[in-house]
Amino acid sequence: MPTTSASSTTTPSFSPTTSDPILDRLASTDCEIKLKAVREVKNKIIGNRTKKLSYIKLGAVPVVASVLAEADANSDSGVNLIVQSAAVLGSFACGVEAGVRAVLDSGVLPRLFSLLSVTDDKVVDATARSLRMVYQSKLAPKYDFFLEANREFLLSLLKNENESLTVLGASIVIHSCETSEEQKILCYAGVLEKIISLLDGSLSQRDASLESLAAVLKSNPEAVSKFMDIHSGRALSSIVELTKDRYSRTRLLACLCLICVKNSSCHLQDLGIKTKLVHILLELLDDPGQVGDEASLAFSSLTAEKEDLHKIAFEANAIDKFYCHLQISSLNPKRLEGIFLALADLCSKLECCRSRFLTLQALSLVVDALVHDNTNVRKAACICLRNSSRSIKNLSAGHFMNESTVIPLVQLLSDLSSSVQVAALGAISNIVAGITPGISVFIQCGGIKELVQLTKSMDSSLRLNAVWALRNMVFHAEKTCIEAVFMELTASSIANLIHDPESSVQQQTLALVRNLVDGHIDFIEYAFAENGIIFDAVGRRLRESSTAEIGIQGMYVLCNIASGNEFYKEAVMQQVFPEAEDGSKSFFNQCLQSNDSRLCTAAVWVIVNLTNPTSSGAYGRVVKLRNFGTVSQIKKMVNDPCMDVKLRARIALGQILTFGES
Amino acid sequence: MPVRVLESSAPSQVSGANSGHTSFQACTLLGVGQAFSGTQNVSSLQKDEAWRVNVRIQGCDLEHGYLCGTMEALNVPMADTPVVTFWEGEIVDTKNYTFFTGKWEASPDDDIRHWTKFPSFSPLQAQVEADGGKSLDLSNYPYIFMRWKEQYFVNVGTDCGLTIAGFYYVCFSCSDGSISGFYYDPNSSPFQKLELKSTNDGRFGFSFSSYELQ
Repeated sequence: MPTTSASSTTTPSFSPTTSDPILDRLASTDCEIKLKAVREVKNKIIGNRTKKLSYIKLGAVPVVASVLAEADANSDSGVNLIVQSAAVLGSFACGVEAGVRAVLDSGVLPRLFSLLSVTDDKVVDATARSLRMVYQSKLAPKYDFFLEANREFLLSLLKNENESLTVLGASIVIHSCETSEEQKILCYAGVLEKIISLLDGSLSQRDASLESLAAVLKSNPEAVSKFMDIHSGRALSSIVELTKDRYSRTRLLACLCLICVKNSSCHLQDLGIKTKLVHILLELLDDPGQVGDEASLAFSSLTAEKEDLHKIAFEANAIDKFYCHLQISSLNPKRLEGIFLALADLCSKLECCRSRFLTLQALSLVVDALVHDNTNVRKAACICLRNSSRSIKNLSAGHFMNESTVIPLVQLLSDLSSSVQVAALGAISNIVAGITPGISVFIQCGGIKELVQLTKSMDSSLRLNAVWALRNMVFHAEKTCIEAVFMELTASSIANLIHDPESSVQQQTLALVRNLVDGHIDFIEYAFAENGIIFDAVGRRLRESSTAEIGIQGMYVLCNIASGNEFYKEAVMQQVFPEAEDGSKSFFNQCLQSNDSRLCTAAVWVIVNLTNPTSSGAYGRVVKLRNFGTVSQIKKMVNDPCMDVKLRARIALGQILTFGES
Repeated sequence: MPVRVLESSAPSQVSGANSGHTSFQACTLLGVGQAFSGTQNVSSLQKDEAWRVNVRIQGCDLEHGYLCGTMEALNVPMADTPVVTFWEGEIVDTKNYTFFTGKWEASPDDDIRHWTKFPSFSPLQAQVEADGGKSLDLSNYPYIFMRWKEQYFVNVGTDCGLTIAGFYYVCFSCSDGSISGFYYDPNSSPFQKLELKSTNDGRFGFSFSSYELQ
């Protein structure tokens, strides 16, 4: 008997709330009465969700589980009871979470597994079907593939001539194979071969084979390679053929398998198969049931981050097709989520896709979904809005900055789900970027206050994305906007964020400061508010930092401050080259020698500003730079392979040399 | 210690027919937020005229050879306020875009006539005439050639009496951030010259902002 990683309990999830004569009959000692009662329950609940729920509430599941547990598999009457009660338990578990939970809580799972080994085919069939229903649910306990006995049992199921057992084996794989380690162990235990062999079986074996193959191959190049080695990859051609099958579910599952192979190998990379997959999945959207719901999610896994596929999909009118489906009212949440995510993918890279999306007025449907009851739909709508707002052309035209979009987005910043909050912040980061006109709409609905509040969150992804949004917002913003952000955020909070435990937050905060001190020359003073708390924090962060990204943003803060008057240039000079520091250990000189040309460029810009020949203190600073060895470092950079470094070093050196050679 | 400054980089040819183009290097002076100001000469036979022009870069995607920004014309005679337009640019990187426009009513001859107005184009001319410059590797060339096409008016309606039907042939100097351009519209005066210099908002040096879309 296999073991499961979750322990079974015998506590029923529902206590009987009212008595029902049928419960008494189920508990009768008379086999005939009991059998009749079980049949009656079966007939009443089959395909009837309401009845199922009411019987679950009555506490029927543990009673039926007891019938099954107590029945003798070696007697005719016992066999009948087992077959009927297993069917009832399977029916309770089919499509109803409370039913699955009640079945699991009844502790009947080990008994069901043990009944798979009896000789009576009817018992085996019935219990296998019942277990399959349980394993279709996420609530089912995870099957531990790392136990040898479990693997052997799984193989015995898959090898069996009984169709129900093979399908149960595949269902267990579909349910429990999640990690790459699990995928690997199944590949090397011979499970992959057995699953492939089911492709030649009945319809249900074929579908189970395809779905379990997808589970084993997903995002695992090693598993895909092993799959291609088996029978010289003949299975792949069979799966390609199955994309033309008459059953829509088979077509969808075949596509999912091919997507797994394509995404993790060099196979299936030609234009023909990619185009074919796009067309099949778009056709499957028309299926009114579960297949149609899942088709858009499969589409996303095919196209995610792949520009060539976005182009193929664009040419196949995918955006129009998704839009048509979106227009159907009362779509179920899963389908709605899938469509938003598919549209988000398509709009993630190509402007032609974003342009088509916006021309169709699909945006208003996305905005409507920002207030949807379902968390996943709200999140997907935010992601769709985020990706479609990557269009600088449309951002600059102010197409996203209006009350109907901004108000619900700001409200989502207080959503109960932090993943929705993060997704909303992603969309806001784009929409408020300083290239967008009409930021007052966002300010008037309290957006800045909400963002600043989230910079203080315990959740680092909320802090990161809130600071990111503020950073984009103050990019070349109007004075009133910059003042409003600074007043709300305060210098001390900015200094704290520069020292945030997360380096990504530090980096975004430095980028925020960089933007704050750009623009009007007076803005430089922000860095010196509260006794220079921000300026000091920037200096310390640069000295303590080990990442180039932080170095780059910090250097540009100094560069922008050094583009100010003599006072600011001297302040930067003191920060970068303190009297007590030895030039050979100078962090600044180390930045100039960095392997990252972006960091070198930023550092040279600081020198360009400090040595600006029109400033009165430039000569003194040049002398100091020579003493620190910085000038000789700059000289080495005038022939740098990076053109930007080279050209900036030449500007800096040209300025330095106006004060003489030594 | 004085060091010798090497000659300016010359464009090299891509070796091998299938070798990929080196990705275009970023130039900080052409980054987002950078501002430029200067003039556009709109003189005609009737009169000499120049409009003051400000440009700001709003977006840059070197991978796709894309640049965009706003252009503000300040003393336009028939407008009460400065006229702001949004433009999108094609960077001639020989991967996404070549020297040949292939649209906007510009023939290869028109292209060559305009590109040859830029002195920095002359080392490239022979190759461009041979194959459109497809075999040139411009990634390390200190000039960036572009086409800027105005897409819409930002602050005035289309009935403002002005046209944005044409486009600019543009040459940007990576060394000093200066921009030269020629406006091309078969229905407007030929070779209207655009001359812009990098500006610093009254600062005593260069400053750089950045934003990053998610």
